[in-house]
Amino acid sequence: MQSSLEIKNCELYRQHEQLLSLNEQVKGGEILTIMGPSGSGKSSLLNWLTGTLPSGFNASGEVWLNGKSINDLPAHLRHIGVLYQDALLFSHLSVSGNIAFAMPKGNKKQRLEKIEHALEQIGLKGMANRHPDNLSGGQQARVALLRMLLSEPKAILLDEPFSKLDTQLRVDTRELVFSQIREHKLPAIMVTHDHSDAEAANGKMITLNLAK
Amino acid sequence: MSVVSNKLAASPTLKPHKSADMFSKLVKLSPRFLLALLILPVIGGLISVLLPAFGYAPVLEQTTLGLHGFTMLMQTPGLTHMVMLSVGTGLISTLLAFIITLMILAAFFNSPWLNRIQRLLSPILVIPHAAAAIAVGFLIAPSGMISRLVSPWFSGWELAPNGMFPHDAFGISIILGLTLKELPFLLLMALGVLAQPELGKKLRQQHKVALNLGYCPMTAFFKVILPSLYPLLRLPILAVLAYASASVEMPLILGPNTPPTLAVAIMHWFNDVDLNLRIKASAGALLQLVLTGGLLALWLGGEKAIKALFSDLLTNGEREYGGVYWQKITTVLTVFVIGFILLSLIGLIMWSVAGFWRFPAALPDQLTLLHFKSALMQMQSPLYNTLAIGLVTTLFAIIITLLCLESEQLSAKPMSRFTSLIIYLPLLVPSIAFLFGLVWLQQLVNNQAAFFNVVFTHLLFVLPYVFLSLASSYRRLDPRFAHVAASLGATPCKVFLQVKLPQLFAPILIAAALGLAISFGQYLPTLLAGGGRIATITTEAVTLANGASRRTSAVYAIMQMALPLIGFILAWVLPKYFFKSAHR
Repeated sequence: MQSSLEIKNCELYRQHEQLLSLNEQVKGGEILTIMGPSGSGKSSLLNWLTGTLPSGFNASGEVWLNGKSINDLPAHLRHIGVLYQDALLFSHLSVSGNIAFAMPKGNKKQRLEKIEHALEQIGLKGMANRHPDNLSGGQQARVALLRMLLSEPKAILLDEPFSKLDTQLRVDTRELVFSQIREHKLPAIMVTHDHSDAEAANGKMITLNLAK
Repeated sequence: MSVVSNKLAASPTLKPHKSADMFSKLVKLSPRFLLALLILPVIGGLISVLLPAFGYAPVLEQTTLGLHGFTMLMQTPGLTHMVMLSVGTGLISTLLAFIITLMILAAFFNSPWLNRIQRLLSPILVIPHAAAAIAVGFLIAPSGMISRLVSPWFSGWELAPNGMFPHDAFGISIILGLTLKELPFLLLMALGVLAQPELGKKLRQQHKVALNLGYCPMTAFFKVILPSLYPLLRLPILAVLAYASASVEMPLILGPNTPPTLAVAIMHWFNDVDLNLRIKASAGALLQLVLTGGLLALWLGGEKAIKALFSDLLTNGEREYGGVYWQKITTVLTVFVIGFILLSLIGLIMWSVAGFWRFPAALPDQLTLLHFKSALMQMQSPLYNTLAIGLVTTLFAIIITLLCLESEQLSAKPMSRFTSLIIYLPLLVPSIAFLFGLVWLQQLVNNQAAFFNVVFTHLLFVLPYVFLSLASSYRRLDPRFAHVAASLGATPCKVFLQVKLPQLFAPILIAAALGLAISFGQYLPTLLAGGGRIATITTEAVTLANGASRRTSAVYAIMQMALPLIGFILAWVLPKYFFKSAHR
């Protein structure tokens, strides 16, 4: 069965003011881009999808992941991976610790081998025992991507993930992230300010307006 | 001086930190003054305890060095029991308070309940230990609220039973009192760390990342937040542990008498009419120092062991350790703790206005204000002392703190680690171990000025809290205001007085209220430095708690709580009327 993330009749409110109304389906390997000025409810939409909508916001509608409603599931059981604009690596753990944290439990040796292999694939060979604070911004972004992917998510949300990287790094990192999404055939939703991000995603694009 | 300031006024372009007016000199010297003020009394006090412990006490005409103080100490019947009681109550209460703090944080990390719990518990922080002990004692006494609420329908008691609480031989009452008092402190310290703008935001985001990765919220707290949070909680925890192992108020009011905890025993020996007991007391103080030091070392060792044992668990990928059950257990525990605290406060208030109150009745038969009237009549002089000492101490503490923080900003160098650690010194060294020495020193220097001695001693305990409370707001002040003012030609002194202080009005008042609360609550320092001649509400309350009528004792405990509360209410209300423009 092809994986899919469906947003059914979503209406999002801040206090009682409607921010957006959305009805979308994203298939595995596709990237839905959502653009709009700050305050238009982009981030709140992602929070609603992950089940961490802050108080002060209300939402109606349903989220379906691979044919199942995940509305009533708490955040940690939804299997939705998120990449933020900050890498948010855990500074009390090494690079491999950060990734191991995200992986399902299992044989310690096999997990370590898998981490080594994955790091090598994204050009971070031998960095397993480094402290995340000592990595460059681009390297941190790649570790964050790896951490998210190895947690075996069923869908991916991208919350302006490239906005803190400079131009060349931005293009490279974006290419890596998008190719991984297509390779794993995961449905993805990206929120961004940047038109080049939207073009590179090569999928459907929605522009939100500021609520009046 | 006038020449210098004229020159300054004539050259407004002079950089503020290069100027050498009186104000800047004063500011520059203040950190050293602060260090001296904290180190000298503590070290001096320790030495003055050390010497008599080894037999050198010219005042008692003993100058031969020897170990007979220790021999006397070792021959004390029940010494082992005393030591066990001190170590046990200190360690268990700190552990309990720490664990419950972590459970509450973990269970309610992202919930609006965390703020509600904080609001419910933060008033407990300003309740002096003695008052808290009196309230807890009333609650668990055989004729206390708990036993009234279950009688006779459940327990079958028609008359008050012969209970073991308070004053139980195992120190369970002490543990209960200390845990309830330290729990809000640790919780608020942790919430203070999480309220730091950058760190707090980062930790909350990382918690969210862990949730997205499939971690149950409680597991996410322990695996992601705690490793970053704990290092910032270490000093407050050690301060709690040091205090709990050597305090006298709680064990005096809630603890057993035969034998008491070591700290209480030392206090009795020092206050004994037989001055030779002071040699033994000094040896005891040294033992206390070793015990507390040992406990701190044990805690730090335990920390290392836990880190080594559990570091693999952090990354093993296990996301769920029965979080649903722990969540429920924590909720029940939290309700229990808050209920316990509320019940003891309600009980306290009822005792203060109770007329005749039959045993199993949950409410008094008659209500009367008589106890308040008669207690307030006797209270005038202690009340005056409490306020005068508190105000003078706090004013002094705030001035030094402000000067030190200003010096940090003028020199643009953060305070050294050494200085930051020294500020905690009076909280980490058991007061019973250095206060007696300090009192001996004070008697050598000036025997008369009891008021001054008490203020000086209170300052040691007030300064750390005032400093910690003010430092974060002072450091968060936007430096551009000062730069703008300086570029307009304002001297550093003017910038300090007219730009910075008005902006800091609210935090200064909070620090002042905290300082007053700490000073109001001091028992041992008041008793010792005042030579028993200066009575405050707290010293009276502790004296009355053992023996006097429950109703009078309740009134004193309520006064102890009311005074700091008034301070905090003022600190909260006044900024709404003064310097309003500074907050817009």
